[in-house]
Amino acid sequence: MAREFNRLNEPDVPSSTATYFFREALRRIWTSKRSSFVAISMIAISLLIVGIFMLIAENLEHTVEQWQGRSRVNVYFASDATGAQIAALRAHLASRSQLAKHRFVTREEALKRFREYFASVSNLVSQLDENPFPPSFEIEVTPEFIQSPAFNQEMAAVRASPGVEYVQFDWDWLARMRRLVDVINLAGLIAGGILAIAAAFTIANVIRLTMMLYREEIEIMRLVGATERLIRGPFLVEGILQGTLGGALAVGLLYAAFLAVRNTLDPSQSLLFGFLVGTFLPWQKIAMLVAGGTLAGWFGSWLSVRER
Amino acid sequence: MIHFYHVTKKFDRYSTALHDVTFHLEKGEFAFLTGASGAGKSTLLKLILREMLPTEGQVVVNGRNLNAMKKRHLPFFRREIGMVFQDFKLIERMTVFENLSFILTVLNVSPKEHKKKAYAALRAVNLQHKLNAYPLQLSGGEQQRVAIARALINDPLILIGDEPTGNLDPDLSAEMIQIFSDAHLRGSTVLLATHDRELIRSSDRRVITLDKGRISRMEGGETHIENEPRPSGTPFLSASGSK
Repeated sequence: MAREFNRLNEPDVPSSTATYFFREALRRIWTSKRSSFVAISMIAISLLIVGIFMLIAENLEHTVEQWQGRSRVNVYFASDATGAQIAALRAHLASRSQLAKHRFVTREEALKRFREYFASVSNLVSQLDENPFPPSFEIEVTPEFIQSPAFNQEMAAVRASPGVEYVQFDWDWLARMRRLVDVINLAGLIAGGILAIAAAFTIANVIRLTMMLYREEIEIMRLVGATERLIRGPFLVEGILQGTLGGALAVGLLYAAFLAVRNTLDPSQSLLFGFLVGTFLPWQKIAMLVAGGTLAGWFGSWLSVRER
Repeated sequence: MIHFYHVTKKFDRYSTALHDVTFHLEKGEFAFLTGASGAGKSTLLKLILREMLPTEGQVVVNGRNLNAMKKRHLPFFRREIGMVFQDFKLIERMTVFENLSFILTVLNVSPKEHKKKAYAALRAVNLQHKLNAYPLQLSGGEQQRVAIARALINDPLILIGDEPTGNLDPDLSAEMIQIFSDAHLRGSTVLLATHDRELIRSSDRRVITLDKGRISRMEGGETHIENEPRPSGTPFLSASGSK
Protein backbone atom coordinates (compact mmCIF):
# COMPACT_ATOMS: atom_id res chain seq x y z
CA MET A 1 0.00 0.00 0.00
CA ALA A 2 1.35 3.37 -0.91
CA ARG A 3 2.11 5.56 2.07
CA GLU A 4 -0.31 8.25 3.09
CA PHE A 5 0.57 11.83 2.34
CA ASN A 6 0.88 14.94 4.52
CA ARG A 7 4.33 14.48 5.90
CA LEU A 8 5.46 17.97 5.03
CA ASN A 9 6.76 18.71 8.49
CA GLU A 10 9.11 15.76 8.88
CA PRO A 11 12.78 16.61 9.60
CA ASP A 12 14.35 17.81 6.37
CA VAL A 13 17.78 16.34 6.98
CA PRO A 14 17.86 12.56 7.30
CA SER A 15 19.72 11.05 10.21
CA SER A 16 22.29 9.38 7.97
CA THR A 17 23.31 12.69 6.40
CA ALA A 18 26.47 13.29 8.41
CA THR A 19 28.04 10.19 6.87
CA TYR A 20 26.64 11.12 3.48
CA PHE A 21 28.02 14.68 3.70
CA PHE A 22 31.51 13.49 4.60
CA ARG A 23 31.58 10.67 2.06
CA GLU A 24 30.40 12.96 -0.72
CA ALA A 25 32.72 15.81 0.31
CA LEU A 26 35.75 13.50 0.33
CA ARG A 27 34.73 12.04 -3.00
CA ARG A 28 34.38 15.50 -4.53
CA ILE A 29 37.75 16.61 -3.17
CA TRP A 30 39.28 13.49 -4.69
CA THR A 31 37.46 13.99 -8.00
CA SER A 32 38.65 17.61 -8.28
CA LYS A 33 42.13 16.88 -6.96
CA ARG A 34 43.90 19.73 -8.71
CA SER A 35 41.56 22.54 -7.77
CA SER A 36 41.28 21.15 -4.24
CA PHE A 37 45.07 21.10 -4.01
CA VAL A 38 45.21 24.77 -5.04
CA ALA A 39 42.60 25.70 -2.43
CA ILE A 40 44.31 23.70 0.33
CA SER A 41 47.71 25.17 -0.61
CA MET A 42 46.36 28.72 -0.55
CA ILE A 43 44.98 28.19 2.94
CA ALA A 44 48.21 26.49 4.06
CA ILE A 45 50.43 29.32 2.74
CA SER A 46 48.25 31.98 4.38
CA LEU A 47 48.24 30.22 7.71
CA LEU A 48 51.94 29.39 7.45
CA ILE A 49 52.68 33.12 7.25
CA VAL A 50 50.44 33.76 10.25
CA GLY A 51 52.17 30.84 12.00
CA ILE A 52 55.66 32.26 11.34
CA PHE A 53 54.64 35.56 12.92
CA MET A 54 53.02 33.70 15.80
CA LEU A 55 56.12 31.57 16.33
CA ILE A 56 58.46 34.60 16.40
CA ALA A 57 56.12 36.42 18.76
CA GLU A 58 55.77 33.33 20.93
CA ASN A 59 59.52 32.94 21.31
CA LEU A 60 60.09 36.65 21.93
CA GLU A 61 57.39 36.53 24.55
CA HIS A 62 58.98 33.47 26.06
CA THR A 63 62.32 35.28 26.23
CA VAL A 64 60.70 38.34 27.80
CA GLU A 65 59.08 36.13 30.40
CA GLN A 66 62.40 34.46 31.14
CA TRP A 67 63.98 37.87 31.63
CA GLN A 68 61.12 38.91 33.81
CA GLY A 69 61.58 35.74 35.82
CA ARG A 70 64.98 36.83 36.90
CA SER A 71 64.27 40.53 37.10
CA ARG A 72 66.53 42.48 39.33
CA VAL A 73 66.41 46.02 40.63
CA ASN A 74 69.73 47.71 41.40
CA VAL A 75 69.69 50.52 43.94
CA TYR A 76 72.91 52.59 43.81
CA PHE A 77 73.92 54.86 46.65
CA ALA A 78 75.67 58.17 46.27
CA SER A 79 79.40 58.01 46.97
CA ASP A 80 78.86 60.03 50.15
CA ALA A 81 76.04 57.87 51.48
CA THR A 82 76.41 57.12 55.14
CA GLY A 83 76.29 53.76 56.89
CA ALA A 84 73.13 54.90 58.67
CA GLN A 85 71.40 55.65 55.39
CA ILE A 86 72.37 52.22 54.05
CA ALA A 87 71.15 50.57 57.25
CA ALA A 88 67.85 52.49 57.05
CA LEU A 89 67.21 51.26 53.49
CA ARG A 90 68.19 47.71 54.45
CA ALA A 91 65.60 47.88 57.26
CA HIS A 92 63.01 49.27 54.86
CA LEU A 93 63.65 46.48 52.32
CA ALA A 94 63.48 43.83 55.02
CA SER A 95 60.08 45.13 56.09
CA ARG A 96 58.67 44.70 52.58
CA SER A 97 57.90 41.08 51.69
CA GLN A 98 58.20 41.72 47.92
CA LEU A 99 61.63 43.31 48.37
CA ALA A 100 62.92 41.01 51.08
CA LYS A 101 65.09 39.03 48.66
CA HIS A 102 67.95 41.47 48.41
CA ARG A 103 71.69 41.53 48.68
CA PHE A 104 74.08 44.34 49.59
CA VAL A 105 77.04 44.85 47.23
CA THR A 106 79.93 46.74 48.76
CA ARG A 107 82.13 49.12 46.78
CA GLU A 108 84.96 46.57 46.95
CA GLU A 109 82.79 43.76 45.66
CA ALA A 110 81.56 45.92 42.78
CA LEU A 111 85.14 46.70 41.85
CA LYS A 112 86.06 43.04 42.03
CA ARG A 113 83.18 42.11 39.74
CA PHE A 114 84.20 44.74 37.24
CA ARG A 115 87.70 43.40 37.17
CA GLU A 116 86.41 39.88 36.62
CA TYR A 117 83.91 40.76 33.89
CA PHE A 118 86.05 43.25 32.04
CA ALA A 119 89.55 41.95 32.67
CA SER A 120 91.02 43.60 29.56
CA VAL A 121 90.17 47.11 30.79
CA SER A 122 90.61 46.48 34.51
CA ASN A 123 93.87 48.39 34.59
CA LEU A 124 91.93 51.57 33.74
CA VAL A 125 90.34 51.45 37.16
CA SER A 126 93.71 50.80 38.80
CA GLN A 127 94.89 54.16 37.54
CA LEU A 128 92.12 55.96 39.45
CA ASP A 129 92.79 57.41 42.87
CA GLU A 130 89.80 55.81 44.46
CA ASN A 131 87.23 53.10 43.87
CA PRO A 132 84.61 54.68 41.53
CA PHE A 133 81.89 52.10 42.24
CA PRO A 134 79.15 53.00 44.68
CA PRO A 135 77.68 50.54 47.14
CA SER A 136 74.35 49.08 46.03
CA PHE A 137 71.48 46.76 46.82
CA GLU A 138 70.47 44.03 44.33
CA ILE A 139 66.79 43.23 44.81
CA GLU A 140 65.20 40.17 43.19
CA VAL A 141 61.59 40.83 42.25
CA THR A 142 58.93 38.56 40.80
CA PRO A 143 57.29 39.22 37.38
CA GLU A 144 53.88 39.46 39.07
CA PHE A 145 55.15 42.18 41.39
CA ILE A 146 56.73 44.12 38.50
CA GLN A 147 53.39 44.19 36.74
CA SER A 148 51.46 45.27 39.82
CA PRO A 149 50.79 48.97 40.61
CA ALA A 150 52.52 48.48 43.99
CA PHE A 151 55.84 48.08 42.20
CA ASN A 152 55.98 51.69 41.02
CA GLN A 153 55.03 52.94 44.49
CA GLU A 154 57.74 50.85 46.13
CA MET A 155 60.32 52.00 43.63
CA ALA A 156 59.34 55.63 44.21
CA ALA A 157 59.79 55.10 47.96
CA VAL A 158 63.22 53.49 47.43
CA ARG A 159 64.25 56.26 45.06
CA ALA A 160 63.27 58.86 47.67
CA SER A 161 65.30 57.20 50.42
CA PRO A 162 68.20 59.33 51.75
CA GLY A 163 71.54 58.50 50.14
CA VAL A 164 70.03 56.75 47.11
CA GLU A 165 71.30 58.16 43.84
CA TYR A 166 69.90 55.89 41.17
CA VAL A 167 67.43 53.00 40.87
CA GLN A 168 67.86 50.82 37.81
CA PHE A 169 65.68 48.02 36.52
CA ASP A 170 65.14 46.52 33.07
CA TRP A 171 61.39 47.06 32.96
CA ASP A 172 61.57 49.66 30.18
CA TRP A 173 63.44 47.28 27.96
CA LEU A 174 60.99 44.49 28.73
CA ALA A 175 58.06 46.79 28.04
CA ARG A 176 59.58 47.66 24.67
CA MET A 177 60.01 43.96 23.94
CA ARG A 178 56.37 43.38 24.87
CA ARG A 179 55.28 46.12 22.50
CA LEU A 180 57.38 44.49 19.78
CA VAL A 181 55.65 41.16 20.46
CA ASP A 182 52.27 42.90 20.13
CA VAL A 183 53.32 44.52 16.85
CA ILE A 184 54.52 41.18 15.46
CA ASN A 185 51.29 39.50 16.51
CA LEU A 186 49.24 42.28 14.94
CA ALA A 187 51.29 42.23 11.72
CA GLY A 188 50.81 38.45 11.53
CA LEU A 189 47.10 38.79 12.04
CA ILE A 190 46.74 41.52 9.42
CA ALA A 191 48.88 39.77 6.80
CA GLY A 192 47.38 36.39 7.59
CA GLY A 193 43.85 37.81 7.69
CA ILE A 194 44.22 39.34 4.23
CA LEU A 195 45.72 36.13 2.87
CA ALA A 196 43.08 33.99 4.60
CA ILE A 197 40.30 36.07 3.01
CA ALA A 198 41.98 35.60 -0.36
CA ALA A 199 42.22 31.87 0.38
CA ALA A 200 38.54 31.78 1.37
CA PHE A 201 37.66 33.30 -2.01
CA THR A 202 39.83 30.67 -3.71
CA ILE A 203 37.86 28.00 -1.87
CA ALA A 204 34.64 29.77 -2.88
CA ASN A 205 35.70 29.59 -6.53
CA VAL A 206 36.69 25.95 -6.24
CA ILE A 207 33.33 25.11 -4.69
CA ARG A 208 31.59 27.19 -7.36
CA LEU A 209 33.40 25.18 -10.04
CA THR A 210 32.46 21.93 -8.32
CA MET A 211 28.84 23.06 -8.18
CA MET A 212 28.96 23.83 -11.90
CA LEU A 213 30.31 20.33 -12.50
CA TYR A 214 27.51 18.87 -10.42
CA ARG A 215 24.70 21.11 -11.67
CA GLU A 216 22.82 18.28 -13.42
CA GLU A 217 23.16 16.13 -10.36
CA ILE A 218 21.88 18.97 -8.16
CA GLU A 219 18.87 19.31 -10.45
CA ILE A 220 18.16 15.56 -10.15
CA MET A 221 18.50 15.78 -6.37
CA ARG A 222 15.94 18.58 -6.26
CA LEU A 223 13.52 16.63 -8.44
CA VAL A 224 13.63 13.56 -6.22
CA GLY A 225 12.92 15.58 -3.10
CA ALA A 226 16.31 16.44 -1.63
CA THR A 227 16.24 19.54 0.55
CA GLU A 228 18.58 22.45 -0.07
CA ARG A 229 20.41 21.51 3.12
CA LEU A 230 21.01 17.99 1.85
CA ILE A 231 22.24 19.36 -1.49
CA ARG A 232 24.43 22.08 -0.01
CA GLY A 233 25.76 20.06 2.91
CA PRO A 234 28.48 18.18 1.04
CA PHE A 235 29.73 21.42 -0.54
CA LEU A 236 29.94 23.11 2.85
CA VAL A 237 31.73 20.10 4.32
CA GLU A 238 34.05 20.10 1.29
CA GLY A 239 35.07 23.70 2.04
CA ILE A 240 35.44 22.98 5.75
CA LEU A 241 37.60 19.93 5.02
CA GLN A 242 39.78 21.86 2.56
CA GLY A 243 40.25 24.65 5.11
CA THR A 244 41.01 22.24 7.94
CA LEU A 245 43.47 20.29 5.79
CA GLY A 246 45.11 23.61 4.81
CA GLY A 247 45.39 24.57 8.48
CA ALA A 248 46.87 21.19 9.43
CA LEU A 249 49.31 21.39 6.51
CA ALA A 250 50.37 24.89 7.65
CA VAL A 251 51.09 23.58 11.16
CA GLY A 252 53.05 20.64 9.72
CA LEU A 253 55.13 22.90 7.47
CA LEU A 254 55.72 25.36 10.30
CA TYR A 255 56.94 22.59 12.59
CA ALA A 256 59.22 21.18 9.88
CA ALA A 257 60.66 24.66 9.29
CA PHE A 258 61.07 25.19 13.05
CA LEU A 259 63.03 21.92 13.42
CA ALA A 260 65.11 22.63 10.34
CA VAL A 261 66.12 26.11 11.52
CA ARG A 262 66.83 24.93 15.05
CA ASN A 263 68.97 22.02 13.89
CA THR A 264 70.94 23.99 11.32
CA LEU A 265 71.77 27.05 13.41
CA ASP A 266 75.42 26.89 14.50
CA PRO A 267 76.30 27.93 18.04
CA SER A 268 77.59 31.39 17.09
CA GLN A 269 74.29 32.17 15.32
CA SER A 270 72.35 30.62 18.15
CA LEU A 271 73.55 33.40 20.43
CA LEU A 272 71.84 35.92 18.17
CA PHE A 273 68.85 34.04 16.80
CA GLY A 274 68.65 30.96 18.95
CA PHE A 275 66.02 32.52 21.17
CA LEU A 276 63.68 32.71 18.15
CA VAL A 277 63.49 28.93 17.79
CA GLY A 278 63.55 28.04 21.45
CA THR A 279 60.02 26.70 21.68
CA PHE A 280 57.20 25.70 19.28
CA LEU A 281 53.67 27.02 19.47
CA PRO A 282 51.53 25.77 22.39
CA TRP A 283 48.61 23.51 21.48
CA GLN A 284 46.10 26.34 21.91
CA LYS A 285 47.78 28.36 19.17
CA ILE A 286 48.12 25.27 16.96
CA ALA A 287 44.38 24.71 17.42
CA MET A 288 43.79 28.39 16.56
CA LEU A 289 45.69 28.01 13.28
CA VAL A 290 43.78 24.88 12.27
CA ALA A 291 40.49 26.46 13.35
CA GLY A 292 41.41 29.51 11.23
CA GLY A 293 41.66 27.19 8.23
CA THR A 294 38.35 25.57 9.07
CA LEU A 295 36.70 28.98 9.38
CA ALA A 296 38.16 30.22 6.07
CA GLY A 297 37.00 27.00 4.38
CA TRP A 298 33.53 27.29 5.79
CA PHE A 299 33.31 30.95 4.80
CA GLY A 300 34.45 30.22 1.25
CA SER A 301 32.00 27.38 0.72
CA TRP A 302 29.20 29.33 2.37
CA LEU A 303 29.80 32.19 -0.08
CA SER A 304 29.32 29.75 -2.97
CA VAL A 305 26.33 27.75 -1.79
CA ARG A 306 24.49 30.87 -0.68
CA GLU A 307 24.41 32.05 -4.30
CA ARG A 308 22.56 28.96 -5.51
CA MET B 1 -5.52 13.12 -6.44
CA ILE B 2 -4.38 15.17 -9.46
CA HIS B 3 -6.58 18.08 -10.50
CA PHE B 4 -5.96 20.56 -13.31
CA TYR B 5 -8.26 23.58 -13.42
CA HIS B 6 -8.11 25.58 -16.65
CA VAL B 7 -4.36 25.30 -16.79
CA THR B 8 -2.49 27.23 -19.43
CA LYS B 9 1.28 27.18 -19.72
CA LYS B 10 3.01 29.68 -21.98
CA PHE B 11 6.77 29.83 -22.37
CA ASP B 12 6.58 33.10 -24.26
CA ARG B 13 4.03 35.13 -26.19
CA TYR B 14 4.17 32.84 -29.19
CA SER B 15 4.61 29.45 -27.53
CA THR B 16 1.76 27.91 -25.57
CA ALA B 17 2.51 24.38 -24.33
CA LEU B 18 -0.87 23.82 -22.63
CA HIS B 19 -4.09 25.66 -23.26
CA ASP B 20 -6.95 25.68 -20.76
CA VAL B 21 -6.47 22.08 -19.65
CA THR B 22 -8.87 20.73 -17.07
CA PHE B 23 -8.94 17.13 -15.87
CA HIS B 24 -9.16 15.15 -12.65
CA LEU B 25 -7.40 11.93 -11.73
CA GLU B 26 -8.83 10.41 -8.60
CA LYS B 27 -6.91 8.55 -5.93
CA GLY B 28 -5.96 5.04 -7.04
CA GLU B 29 -6.58 5.63 -10.74
CA PHE B 30 -4.29 4.47 -13.55
CA ALA B 31 -4.26 6.54 -16.70
CA PHE B 32 -2.23 7.02 -19.84
CA LEU B 33 -1.41 10.45 -21.18
CA THR B 34 -0.82 10.40 -24.89
CA GLY B 35 -0.38 12.66 -27.84
CA ALA B 36 2.09 13.46 -30.58
CA SER B 37 5.52 14.84 -29.81
CA GLY B 38 5.16 18.45 -28.71
CA ALA B 39 1.55 17.96 -27.63
CA GLY B 40 2.40 19.08 -24.10
CA LYS B 41 2.71 15.74 -22.25
CA SER B 42 6.06 16.49 -20.62
CA THR B 43 4.95 20.02 -19.69
CA LEU B 44 1.88 18.60 -17.98
CA LEU B 45 4.01 16.14 -16.00
CA LYS B 46 6.44 18.91 -15.04
CA LEU B 47 3.52 20.92 -13.71
CA ILE B 48 2.47 17.96 -11.53
CA LEU B 49 6.01 17.70 -10.13
CA ARG B 50 6.04 21.51 -9.80
CA GLU B 51 9.14 21.83 -11.90
CA MET B 52 7.29 24.83 -13.26
CA LEU B 53 4.17 26.82 -12.43
CA PRO B 54 1.20 27.35 -14.74
CA THR B 55 0.80 30.70 -16.44
CA GLU B 56 -2.93 30.51 -15.67
CA GLY B 57 -5.13 28.13 -13.75
CA GLN B 58 -4.53 25.89 -10.77
CA VAL B 59 -2.81 22.56 -10.28
CA VAL B 60 -3.88 20.67 -7.17
CA VAL B 61 -2.11 17.46 -6.20
CA ASN B 62 -3.38 15.50 -3.22
CA GLY B 63 -5.33 18.49 -1.95
CA ARG B 64 -2.35 20.80 -2.20
CA ASN B 65 -2.47 23.82 -4.45
CA LEU B 66 0.95 23.81 -6.08
CA ASN B 67 0.70 27.49 -7.01
CA ALA B 68 0.56 28.33 -3.32
CA MET B 69 3.07 25.76 -2.10
CA LYS B 70 6.01 27.22 -0.20
CA LYS B 71 9.43 26.43 -1.62
CA ARG B 72 10.56 24.80 1.60
CA HIS B 73 7.69 22.30 1.37
CA LEU B 74 8.56 21.29 -2.17
CA PRO B 75 11.13 18.56 -1.35
CA PHE B 76 8.68 16.76 0.95
CA PHE B 77 5.94 16.99 -1.66
CA ARG B 78 8.24 15.52 -4.32
CA ARG B 79 9.25 12.64 -2.07
CA GLU B 80 5.69 11.33 -2.37
CA ILE B 81 5.93 11.18 -6.15
CA GLY B 82 7.83 8.47 -7.99
CA MET B 83 8.88 9.89 -11.33
CA VAL B 84 10.39 8.06 -14.27
CA PHE B 85 11.96 10.76 -16.39
CA GLN B 86 12.21 10.55 -20.15
CA ASP B 87 15.99 11.01 -19.95
CA PHE B 88 16.15 8.77 -16.84
CA LYS B 89 18.05 11.40 -14.78
CA LEU B 90 20.38 8.88 -13.18
CA ILE B 91 23.48 10.25 -11.47
CA GLU B 92 26.26 9.06 -13.73
CA ARG B 93 29.11 9.03 -11.22
CA MET B 94 27.11 6.85 -8.85
CA THR B 95 26.61 3.13 -9.21
CA VAL B 96 23.12 1.72 -9.64
CA PHE B 97 23.08 0.90 -5.94
CA GLU B 98 24.24 4.41 -4.99
CA ASN B 99 21.57 5.96 -7.21
CA LEU B 100 18.92 4.06 -5.28
CA SER B 101 20.66 4.55 -1.95
CA PHE B 102 20.68 8.31 -2.47
CA ILE B 103 16.88 8.33 -2.75
CA LEU B 104 16.70 6.31 0.46
CA THR B 105 19.01 8.84 2.15
CA VAL B 106 16.69 11.62 1.01
CA LEU B 107 13.76 9.64 2.39
CA ASN B 108 15.49 9.21 5.75
CA VAL B 109 15.63 5.43 5.47
CA SER B 110 18.22 3.87 7.78
CA PRO B 111 21.46 3.05 5.90
CA LYS B 112 21.15 -0.54 7.13
CA GLU B 113 18.01 -0.90 5.01
CA HIS B 114 19.50 0.54 1.83
CA LYS B 115 21.03 -2.63 0.43
CA LYS B 116 17.93 -4.71 1.10
CA LYS B 117 15.54 -2.17 -0.38
CA ALA B 118 17.75 -1.43 -3.39
CA TYR B 119 18.14 -5.13 -4.12
CA ALA B 120 14.38 -5.68 -3.90
CA ALA B 121 13.66 -2.73 -6.21
CA LEU B 122 16.21 -3.96 -8.75
CA ARG B 123 14.91 -7.49 -8.59
CA ALA B 124 11.47 -6.16 -9.53
CA VAL B 125 12.97 -4.86 -12.80
CA ASN B 126 15.30 -7.87 -13.28
CA LEU B 127 18.47 -5.88 -12.76
CA GLN B 128 19.66 -7.18 -9.40
CA HIS B 129 22.92 -8.32 -11.02
CA LYS B 130 23.73 -4.72 -12.06
CA LEU B 131 23.89 -3.37 -8.51
CA ASN B 132 27.47 -2.18 -8.84
CA ALA B 133 27.38 -1.03 -12.46
CA TYR B 134 27.49 2.63 -13.43
CA PRO B 135 24.62 4.02 -15.53
CA LEU B 136 26.84 4.56 -18.54
CA GLN B 137 27.80 0.87 -18.48
CA LEU B 138 24.13 -0.01 -19.00
CA SER B 139 22.05 -0.07 -22.17
CA GLY B 140 19.27 2.52 -22.61
CA GLY B 141 16.68 -0.06 -21.65
CA GLU B 142 18.59 -1.04 -18.52
CA GLN B 143 18.98 2.59 -17.50
CA GLN B 144 15.24 3.02 -17.94
CA ARG B 145 14.59 0.03 -15.69
CA VAL B 146 16.90 1.48 -13.02
CA ALA B 147 14.92 4.72 -13.27
CA ILE B 148 11.72 2.71 -12.77
CA ALA B 149 13.25 0.90 -9.78
CA ARG B 150 14.22 4.28 -8.29
CA ALA B 151 10.71 5.64 -8.76
CA LEU B 152 9.17 2.58 -7.13
CA ILE B 153 11.62 2.10 -4.28
CA ASN B 154 9.47 3.90 -1.75
CA ASP B 155 5.97 2.82 -2.82
CA PRO B 156 5.08 6.38 -3.88
CA LEU B 157 1.61 7.77 -3.49
CA ILE B 158 1.72 9.00 -7.08
CA LEU B 159 3.71 7.30 -9.83
CA ILE B 160 4.42 9.26 -12.97
CA GLY B 161 6.25 8.05 -16.04
CA ASP B 162 7.39 10.14 -18.98
CA GLU B 163 7.74 7.61 -21.80
CA PRO B 164 8.80 4.93 -19.31
CA THR B 165 8.89 2.19 -21.96
CA GLY B 166 10.38 4.33 -24.71
CA ASN B 167 13.63 2.37 -24.90
CA LEU B 168 12.27 -1.09 -24.23
CA ASP B 169 11.31 -3.88 -26.59
CA PRO B 170 7.62 -4.98 -26.57
CA ASP B 171 8.19 -7.88 -24.15
CA LEU B 172 10.06 -5.73 -21.65
CA SER B 173 7.51 -2.94 -22.11
CA ALA B 174 4.72 -5.31 -21.11
CA GLU B 175 6.79 -6.43 -18.14
CA MET B 176 7.34 -2.84 -17.01
CA ILE B 177 3.64 -1.99 -17.45
CA GLN B 178 2.96 -4.96 -15.19
CA ILE B 179 5.30 -3.44 -12.60
CA PHE B 180 3.36 -0.16 -12.80
CA SER B 181 0.11 -2.15 -12.48
CA ASP B 182 1.46 -3.87 -9.36
CA ALA B 183 2.29 -0.45 -7.87
CA HIS B 184 -1.23 0.65 -8.78
CA LEU B 185 -2.63 -2.38 -6.95
CA ARG B 186 -0.55 -1.43 -3.91
CA GLY B 187 -2.36 1.92 -3.88
CA SER B 188 -0.36 4.27 -6.08
CA THR B 189 -2.13 6.63 -8.45
CA VAL B 190 -0.42 6.12 -11.82
CA LEU B 191 -0.10 8.46 -14.78
CA LEU B 192 2.04 7.31 -17.70
CA ALA B 193 2.83 9.54 -20.66
CA THR B 194 3.45 7.55 -23.82
CA HIS B 195 2.88 7.70 -27.54
CA ASP B 196 3.03 3.92 -27.82
CA ARG B 197 -0.47 3.35 -29.26
CA GLU B 198 -0.02 -0.42 -29.12
CA LEU B 199 0.70 -0.30 -25.40
CA ILE B 200 -2.40 1.82 -24.78
CA ARG B 201 -4.57 -0.41 -26.97
CA SER B 202 -3.48 -3.53 -25.12
CA SER B 203 -4.67 -2.15 -21.78
CA ASP B 204 -8.11 -1.05 -20.70
CA ARG B 205 -6.84 1.97 -18.78
CA ARG B 206 -8.08 5.50 -19.11
CA VAL B 207 -6.44 7.58 -21.78
CA ILE B 208 -6.06 11.34 -21.84
CA THR B 209 -5.06 12.56 -25.27
CA LEU B 210 -3.37 15.88 -25.79
CA ASP B 211 -3.25 17.67 -29.11
CA LYS B 212 -1.32 20.90 -29.49
CA GLY B 213 -1.66 21.66 -25.79
CA ARG B 214 -5.38 20.92 -25.49
CA ILE B 215 -7.14 17.78 -24.27
CA SER B 216 -8.65 16.41 -27.42
CA ARG B 217 -10.04 13.14 -26.13
CA MET B 218 -10.64 11.19 -22.92
CA GLU B 219 -11.29 7.49 -23.21
CA GLY B 220 -12.30 4.85 -20.68
CA GLY B 221 -12.92 4.96 -16.95
CA GLU B 222 -14.59 7.75 -15.10
CA THR B 223 -12.08 10.46 -15.80
CA HIS B 224 -13.89 13.26 -17.54
CA ILE B 225 -13.15 16.35 -19.51
CA GLU B 226 -14.59 19.58 -18.32
CA ASN B 227 -15.22 22.07 -21.05
CA GLU B 228 -17.56 24.30 -19.12
CA PRO B 229 -16.58 27.95 -18.69
CA ARG B 230 -14.26 28.78 -15.81
CA PRO B 231 -16.32 29.25 -12.64
CA SER B 232 -16.15 32.63 -10.99
CA GLY B 233 -15.36 31.20 -7.56
CA THR B 234 -12.81 28.59 -8.54
CA PRO B 235 -11.71 26.36 -5.63
CA PHE B 236 -8.11 26.22 -4.45
CA LEU B 237 -7.55 29.75 -5.63
CA SER B 238 -5.37 30.66 -2.73
CA ALA B 239 -2.71 31.95 -5.10
CA SER B 240 -2.46 33.49 -8.50
CA GLY B 241 -2.24 31.08 -11.39
CA SER B 242 0.45 32.88 -13.23
CA LYS B 243 4.10 33.08 -12.58
